[in-house]
Amino acid sequence: MIEYYTFKHRGGAEEYRDEIFLRLTPTLTVAIFSGSKLESAPKSQSLLFSEILSSEEGSKSMNELHSVFEECLDHEAEYLILRVAGTGVECVRRGDVSAKIVCNGQISLLPNGFFGLSREDWIICATSNFYKPLSDEGILADALVSSSCSDWMNMLVRRISDQNQLKCGNLSAVTLKLDV
Amino acid sequence: MYDFSLLSDENVRALIIALVLFLFAFISFVVVALYALIKTTAYSKKHKEKLKLICDVAYFHERGKRENQEDSLYISPMDKLDESGLVAACSDGMGGLLNGEVVSKFVTDSLSENYPYRFDAQQENSRIITGISDKIYEQYHLSAGATLVMVHIFDDYMNFYSLGDSNIILIRNNRATLLNHKQNYITLMIKKLADGGLDTTDAYRDTRAKGLIDFVGNINCNVQKTSRPIRLIENDIIIVSSDGVTDSMPLSRIVSHIHFDQNATGIARTIKYGVKARKNPRQDNYSAVIIKMKRSYV
Repeated sequence: MIEYYTFKHRGGAEEYRDEIFLRLTPTLTVAIFSGSKLESAPKSQSLLFSEILSSEEGSKSMNELHSVFEECLDHEAEYLILRVAGTGVECVRRGDVSAKIVCNGQISLLPNGFFGLSREDWIICATSNFYKPLSDEGILADALVSSSCSDWMNMLVRRISDQNQLKCGNLSAVTLKLDV
Repeated sequence: MYDFSLLSDENVRALIIALVLFLFAFISFVVVALYALIKTTAYSKKHKEKLKLICDVAYFHERGKRENQEDSLYISPMDKLDESGLVAACSDGMGGLLNGEVVSKFVTDSLSENYPYRFDAQQENSRIITGISDKIYEQYHLSAGATLVMVHIFDDYMNFYSLGDSNIILIRNNRATLLNHKQNYITLMIKKLADGGLDTTDAYRDTRAKGLIDFVGNINCNVQKTSRPIRLIENDIIIVSSDGVTDSMPLSRIVSHIHFDQNATGIARTIKYGVKARKNPRQDNYSAVIIKMKRSYV
């Protein structure tokens, strides 16, 4: 079973420059694009990202996909792609968009490459802006208290709100629970 | 100067032998002590992860400017640490309601009666807390209530349970994090505003929003609990406290006051005097249990 919950918020900024993409077939793929560092045309870059992802996803390995993005996207564009593969996840990222895994009562950053999962592991993918007001211990505690991905996200949003009333720029995140 | 010529040859010989024996014993002692020190250091470095974490515990329990002490603490027997772990709890009688001191005391007494708790039975433990809450409801019908925060530490792991707006704070790597969430209307308002894409300033403006949506004394209360435990590491500091502590001393201030080589008693003293020094004319009761995780060589 796969459970996920996404959160997108303008965060008081003029426009929402990030984007979240989810594909359930052939395997679950989560992608977060962050255009907050782009000086111009974040929408066109986001569209390009989406088009490459939908045309190449499934036919290319993660490394190949990564190379295509490196060639086509602006150097300031940041992204993370996470693909469920067998009993684990494959992850590639550029910039400050990252994924963290809650495993055995601890939280750690998901490295680029393949990472094996066990049944009770929870994953969060988010932009650096989302992580900034949070501590790892807060993210961890909320994951361990939550009964669902939406619960977890709501608790994290409450933590961010306590710091800045959600007036901190674009916020984008996905919480995931995978029963592999 | 001593004139050894007055001593007989036999006595001088005996003195020299005694001196040589003393020097031999002293050098042997130094060699053995150094050897033991080097071996212990090497062993502890090599097996650091396998050595048990133990809890160094201290508390303070102060009345503030209130007439009654409405906070109540519970710390499980330290001699049962190996078998059942450490349970520490703080209950704070709800302001504005009746019998705060009676209710909070009833909560901690009931926790004590139910000890020991199974570490991996979070659901069962949460039902015990719900049972305590239901008993209070039956007696007072929402005219009295209390908050509750409780941690259960076993080896390197910790579960926590929370009802209301008291605090479970974890200080790790010089950063303090509130682990539990305050169960008040602000949470509901934030969800609504965030879902609508708005900022959440309004949720904090309304003082009524700080009202609790759950507490001990509510019928069928929803205990916030960890379903899987948090892994603790050496030098973690856990503070289980009433809101009287954090109202006068925010988390960042607590961290800046603590020295990380302090033991639990030192940390408790620092926080207590930190709150006292604020001289808040409306200082609430302030109580806390401080737990510092240390590596044991025993």
